[in-house]
Amino acid sequence: MTDRAETFLELKGITKKFGEFTAVNNVNLQITEGEFFTLVGPSGSGKTTMIRLLVGMDQPTSGDINLKGARLNDVPANKRPTCMVFQSLALFPHRSVGENIEFPLKIAKVAPAQRRERAHALLEQLHLPLDFYDKGINQCSGGERQRVALARALAFDPELLFFDEPLSALDFRLRKALEKELKDIHRETGKTFVYITHSLEEAMVMSDRIGIMKDGELVQIGTPHEIYNKPINKFVAQFMGEVNTLEVEATGPTTVRDINGEGDFEVNSMPDQFNRGYLIVRPEVMKLGPGASGLPNILKGKFFNDYALGSRMQYQVRSSSGDQWLVERLQDEVFEGQFGDTVSLGWRPEDSILVSD
Amino acid sequence: MFKNKINRRNFMQQTGVWAAAAAAGTLPKFARAARDKELNIYCWEGYNSDDVLDPFRREFGAKVRAEGLTSDPDAVNRLRAGETKVWDLVNLNNPWAREMMYPEGLIKPISRERFEPMYKDMMPAFHPPYSWAMDKSGKDLLGMTQRFGPFNFVVNTNKISRSMGEDQGFNIFLDPKMKGRYGVLTYDNWNIYHMCVTAGVDPFKKHSKAEIASYAKVCKQIFNGAKLLTDDLVAMNLAMINGEIDASFTGGTYTASPARFDGAKQIRGITPKKGPMNGKGGIVWIELTSVVNNPDPSGLSEDFLAYVQRPDVSKKVAFAEGTYNPVTQMGSDKVMATFNKEELDAIQWDTLEEEMSNSTDYDINPDYSEMYDIYSAAKREREG
Amino acid sequence: MAEGNTSSKWRFNPGALAAIPASVFLFIGFAGPLAMVVGYSFMPAKTFSLLQIPTLENYVSVVTDSYYLSFFWSLLLASISVFLLFIICYPMAYGMAKLFGKWANLITALIVLPLLISENIRLFGWVLILLKNGILDGTLKYLFDITASGLLFTVPAIVLGIVYVYLPFMLFPLVIGISMVPESLKEAASDLGASRWQIFKEVEIPLSMPGIMIGGILTFILALGSLAESKILGGQAVIMIADDIESSFTFAQNWPKGSVLSVMLIALSGIIVFILFRKIDLDQIIGRR
Repeated sequence: MTDRAETFLELKGITKKFGEFTAVNNVNLQITEGEFFTLVGPSGSGKTTMIRLLVGMDQPTSGDINLKGARLNDVPANKRPTCMVFQSLALFPHRSVGENIEFPLKIAKVAPAQRRERAHALLEQLHLPLDFYDKGINQCSGGERQRVALARALAFDPELLFFDEPLSALDFRLRKALEKELKDIHRETGKTFVYITHSLEEAMVMSDRIGIMKDGELVQIGTPHEIYNKPINKFVAQFMGEVNTLEVEATGPTTVRDINGEGDFEVNSMPDQFNRGYLIVRPEVMKLGPGASGLPNILKGKFFNDYALGSRMQYQVRSSSGDQWLVERLQDEVFEGQFGDTVSLGWRPEDSILVSD
Repeated sequence: MFKNKINRRNFMQQTGVWAAAAAAGTLPKFARAARDKELNIYCWEGYNSDDVLDPFRREFGAKVRAEGLTSDPDAVNRLRAGETKVWDLVNLNNPWAREMMYPEGLIKPISRERFEPMYKDMMPAFHPPYSWAMDKSGKDLLGMTQRFGPFNFVVNTNKISRSMGEDQGFNIFLDPKMKGRYGVLTYDNWNIYHMCVTAGVDPFKKHSKAEIASYAKVCKQIFNGAKLLTDDLVAMNLAMINGEIDASFTGGTYTASPARFDGAKQIRGITPKKGPMNGKGGIVWIELTSVVNNPDPSGLSEDFLAYVQRPDVSKKVAFAEGTYNPVTQMGSDKVMATFNKEELDAIQWDTLEEEMSNSTDYDINPDYSEMYDIYSAAKREREG
Repeated sequence: MAEGNTSSKWRFNPGALAAIPASVFLFIGFAGPLAMVVGYSFMPAKTFSLLQIPTLENYVSVVTDSYYLSFFWSLLLASISVFLLFIICYPMAYGMAKLFGKWANLITALIVLPLLISENIRLFGWVLILLKNGILDGTLKYLFDITASGLLFTVPAIVLGIVYVYLPFMLFPLVIGISMVPESLKEAASDLGASRWQIFKEVEIPLSMPGIMIGGILTFILALGSLAESKILGGQAVIMIADDIESSFTFAQNWPKGSVLSVMLIALSGIIVFILFRKIDLDQIIGRR
């Protein structure tokens, strides 16, 4: 996938055990310089442990962490050229905004005048007014603190920045705005970002590549596009959000049959040695009503519910075999129908996703 | 062991005194209710032990409250400040009744008829009329004596022999060889007297400038040469027994007896053979219990005075908690019979008469307050 | 609306009302005696009534006399003791707050238990240890033929006593102070390049400052007014100011002078505490501002 020479951060067989419990199991990963890489997983998937290992707050039970070809395992946290933005932000409450930003510079014994200059530059870069310099941390709003935490991390001038779900405590709107801002800062600074979150949606917005974690293992690594379109298994496919899932078995080179009798469906390609597994169809690729006509994968059902999601609408249809199907439409192509109507549902074979587990 | 630490000049007891002072304002109000069955005693420790008070409480069905006092002038000042309304009996050292309290109307006479015969049973030195118990005109009887004892200095006789102590008197503390080998027992009032004696000055008279100057010089020297200062007789005895020090500046049977009773016979109170007080070098204190001139007197005051003269009670007063002392009642065979050999040895009975004859009675120092300031400055400015 | 009505009906909130009995008690039991002490300090020397013409003579005599020595010794020994207490207690408190886990409870119990015993008795225990031919001296002599006499009745013995007696009063505030420092802040500091020492200096000390301040002030004030340590362990190697105050009220029978010394000691303590609180803003550390 990536050329060996370009590998910036490399994880080789990283395992971390706490007693009998394996938090991280044999993770291999290469991250390129300047990349925005996001680790996604539900809570308990081992992503926080992963980042603690990377930052140096914990030591892996086995495996190597290499940065630019040099082994990082034995380098203590305070000597690593890496820096983390904490979930709690971990801002120093006894220091002003300016002092917080200057903290790594003070530690590095940078002269006060230069520290101040740098802090001012960072405030500007993060769209914070300069008079914030003397403000107390507890006088800042959630979003402002977020920026201060990022400014502090940037002041350290790390080669690698880690983010431990820093946006999780913010409200939706602010989170969306900061996601984009973070992406801009990533572009401006050109630094390598490693981000962890439980929200695949958040990961999609910002990341160059995403790694999905489950039970301490890295299940799939890929670009947002790959993760979205070619989930490796049911877990990844469902992690993004609600999807239509059918348990199927192969009946031909490009056909599968629903084992509950929903019907036979066409797919574009089949994974190697696919025998039995799941057919995933995302709600947003489903066609409803007249749009479905003529599609090779088609079935009938009773329209019984709808939800307005703002920019989109969701419709629920119950097929004759009792399965519930979810269809999503943008607001400008809403479906006009009455509850109880019998409607057609369909999707294209290339929109069928087959996973074996 | 620490129960035994309580002693007459132990100022850790201050809290109790303050509490009593605070109570002074309110007490008479409810005290007035049943004064026939109530008795308030303000005394040096010994009379306030339950061994002494409980049998009295039972026999007379009385409510008895006893408060230990910490210094004679303190007690007198409190009576002057209006606490005559609180107390029924006051127990102080000998001079105060005759010289101060009676002339000021703080105490009242007791029945000569009832109590004078009791003086006849006392040791010969206290036979009636005993001057400290009489008013200046010799007419009125002002109280009853009981505990007494020479109070001068104490040595470890393994280091300093009794005869050497008696011959040299307080001069041994001025010997450069004694520097760092003695402690000062901070019973401040006694120390002032004995520093006068050490300076060759009679403490119980008005002093000239020159006398005060030589007293001041002795104050400084005694403090600067002391290994330790303590107001705790147990700590002082322990330091002597363990060899930290060899002598205690001021002390007597009162302080040495607990150690002696515990078997440390080498700890001994010494009375100098000669000195500046009409040739005498020792001082002896005698406690006198008097009836307070309470406007609402308790009916039990004189009964208590008579009660403590009983042989078994006399013994309990002599061997109260913490310190053991001779009592004047030891002139009676019945009282003597209550003491065993060990107990007599603890209170240095063998030399008591000789020590008494070398001593003058405790009295009032007219320059006490000026001398106290000199004394406390010397203590504060002490060079370790 | 309803709330507006109730608040106009009830001028005092329930908290203020509930605090009245305690306030009255405090006023009588605390402020009253304090006012009496101040009053006595202006009465003529060696008198026992508060109803006299006020005078400054006691203040003049205290200032011109050598009482500065007692103040000096009390301040010096209190400062040394607080410093030593901090040095001794910080690692202990750190262990109890962060490292010992359930053992911390046992340690707490072991430290609290002696508080049930009178201070004098515990100090007397030290006398038996430090005494010539005492436990320490005797043991060393027997085992190694070394003498350890001359420890008792010295200034260091007084400091030992103060440190020993007031240890819990430094330790427990420190435990609370240190446990107030979030682990994540230390990790963040480390991540930002701070060494162990820099984390200690830049994060742990400032953030545990409320505990340090409370422990420091508590022990300083206690040590400043301490007496038993100097009397029992020190053999009054130096005279502490509390000793002068006590003597003034007792043997000297000079309540006004004792009151002056008390007032001066209270004022001195007050000034020191005031300056410390001015310098270190606890609210800011705790994050209320």
